[in-house]
Amino acid sequence: MRRRVLIVDDHPSFRRFATRLLERSGFCVVGEAEDGASALAASHRLRPELVLLDVLLPDMSGFAVAEVLAGDSHHPRVVLVSSRSASELGPALEESPAAGFLTKSELTADALAAIADGAP
Amino acid sequence: MRAVRLGVWAAGATLCTAMLIGTIRGHVDAGFYVGNALSTSTGNVFVVPHNQAYAGYLVALVAITLGVLVWGLRPDSRTGILLTAMPIIGLLTDPIVFAGSRVAVTVGLAAAWLDAVIAAHLILSYPTGRFTSRLDRGFVAVGYGFALVSALPFLLFFDPRAPHDRDVWDCYSCALPLTHVAWHDVTGVRHVLNGVGVALIVLFIALLLRKIVRAVPVARSVALPLAVVAFVGAARFASLLALRLLAPSSNVSWSSAWDWSAIFVTLAISLALAAGMLWGGAGRGAVADLVVELERTPPGSVRDALARALGDPSLELGLWLPERTAYVDHGGRPLDLPTALSRAVTVLGPPGAPVAALVHDPALLERPALLQSAGAAARLALENERLQAELRLQLAEVRASRARIVTAGDEERRRLERDLHDGAQQRLLSLGLALQLVRAEVGPEANGAATLLGEAEAELAAALEELRQLAQGIHPAVLTEHGVGPALKTLVARSPLPVELQHVPDERLPAPLEAAAYFLVSEALANVAKHARASAVSVSIVCEDGSLVVEVDDDGVGGAAPRTGSGLAGLADRLHALDGVLTIESEAGCGTRLRAEIPYAAVTAAP
Repeated sequence: MRRRVLIVDDHPSFRRFATRLLERSGFCVVGEAEDGASALAASHRLRPELVLLDVLLPDMSGFAVAEVLAGDSHHPRVVLVSSRSASELGPALEESPAAGFLTKSELTADALAAIADGAP
Repeated sequence: MRAVRLGVWAAGATLCTAMLIGTIRGHVDAGFYVGNALSTSTGNVFVVPHNQAYAGYLVALVAITLGVLVWGLRPDSRTGILLTAMPIIGLLTDPIVFAGSRVAVTVGLAAAWLDAVIAAHLILSYPTGRFTSRLDRGFVAVGYGFALVSALPFLLFFDPRAPHDRDVWDCYSCALPLTHVAWHDVTGVRHVLNGVGVALIVLFIALLLRKIVRAVPVARSVALPLAVVAFVGAARFASLLALRLLAPSSNVSWSSAWDWSAIFVTLAISLALAAGMLWGGAGRGAVADLVVELERTPPGSVRDALARALGDPSLELGLWLPERTAYVDHGGRPLDLPTALSRAVTVLGPPGAPVAALVHDPALLERPALLQSAGAAARLALENERLQAELRLQLAEVRASRARIVTAGDEERRRLERDLHDGAQQRLLSLGLALQLVRAEVGPEANGAATLLGEAEAELAAALEELRQLAQGIHPAVLTEHGVGPALKTLVARSPLPVELQHVPDERLPAPLEAAAYFLVSEALANVAKHARASAVSVSIVCEDGSLVVEVDDDGVGGAAPRTGSGLAGLADRLHALDGVLTIESEAGCGTRLRAEIPYAAVTAAP
């Protein structure tokens, strides 16, 4: 069964290519969101298993969105992505309840699947 | 203060009046009249002619009254207090006044020279009541010392049973002996003390001449009448002592002419002093003093000099800044001229172009000439002070704007980093995803295309890394978002050298401080890596006494110096803009210690 993914990023070109890449690699992209508020609404409505979540969003940080999603009833697994490295993001990344982190240049379908398959 | 002056005057006047009434009512030794109230009678009688007694007490009353008047009208000068004290002390120490009390007579004898020394003090310190030379001050101090000890030998060693010469003893026989140790050779001591007294008086005359010669012309004309009287008085006193010394048997000290001259001198000194102080002369003297004082007044003290000259310690000085059309104080703080009736304002300078404003006690309005002449005298100094205040304000503005420029520069760098991150970097990242898609499309069979794709992906990865480093160098995002501690941890993680982070603040600091500290450490680490050949570096950032102290130590070859245009020189400029200082200890062979101190105040105060 294909994993249901929600992609959250404020750059349309990133969302477009990521959707096509993941769709091609066995994921089912159920929706896209461009900021934190619409990401929370979409997650509530679409109940994805996996949320690919950009750290830097225009309205709130990806960490804050991950906090809220962690309390959600259907517990989507959150994978944070950023164009910045883990060390640049500082302590907030370590404290985040997200299941994993990838820089955008590391993002491949396989890497995402590995985190998605990891123990909760 | 007014109550104190009135109280002193009332006490002095009561004493004089009591003595006068006592004399008029026929007590030849009026002292009994007053003294009987004090303690046991001695039974001694001093014979003083009535008319001399009247004159003496009247002169004392006049002198006390003039003294209190001067004291009240010129509170800035100590002359009033001294002029009041002189006749009062003279009365209190006169054996006749408290002749009824042996204790009072004893104290009076012990302090017999005191009023004469006060007179010397008064004259040498005229008209401000403050000495202008150390020599004068030293002389008066010696005089007070002499006045206190000169009678002690007689009071300590008087033996009433021993035969004694009336000329030598004066009236010690009616004093209370402090011991009963007989000492027969007091005559010699008396002669020595009289000799010292003559020497002191000669010295006083010399000092007075010196004062007159050195005085500015205006002050000299004010002081001259006083000086003439003082010379007469001093000469009288000296010749009296000298006569006793040379011709002990002559009875001159009790002659009527000498006593009349004493009364005349007291009156003349009081009148000369008071006239000088009260009828404009001393006002001109105060202005003359001000002119001299302004010559050596350090910047910022013109207010104090004016306050002394005008006798108003509450004086405030407002300097007019034409560019701001406002008054400021010496420190450049705005000064609002009061409108309340409790304060008065005098504007100095030509009409329409004020130089300064004096905010003072309304009582000074009674003396407009003094205000205007003091203002005119201080004009140049005030112009100077005004320019300084203006300069200080401009300097403060330049410093604030320099700090603002640094802050604005930081802000610009943050914006650039953000633009790179949001623009070019995102497009390249999307391109990476697109290449992954292409690779999936062409499949593993197309060998040539797969190789090309691999190269394109490697090129893209290199471009992204360069871009990331560029953005990081411009202004690290982690610094903006998480502060200097996490930013330095990131920096250190990438450093080719082992760097020990000893202390870094976890809390957020003002952005300009964080940026300054971060870039300093960053530049220092880059320098160490390039030049120092060090094996270890330690970094510490601590908050100390309101400053952020950044230290970077290495164990390398040393010999570092900030050359113009180098990274370190640029950092020093950045620190100076924040009122910080950079010190570099770097002896050849002893490693390098870089220490920066940046005060918090400069950052938090920058508008």
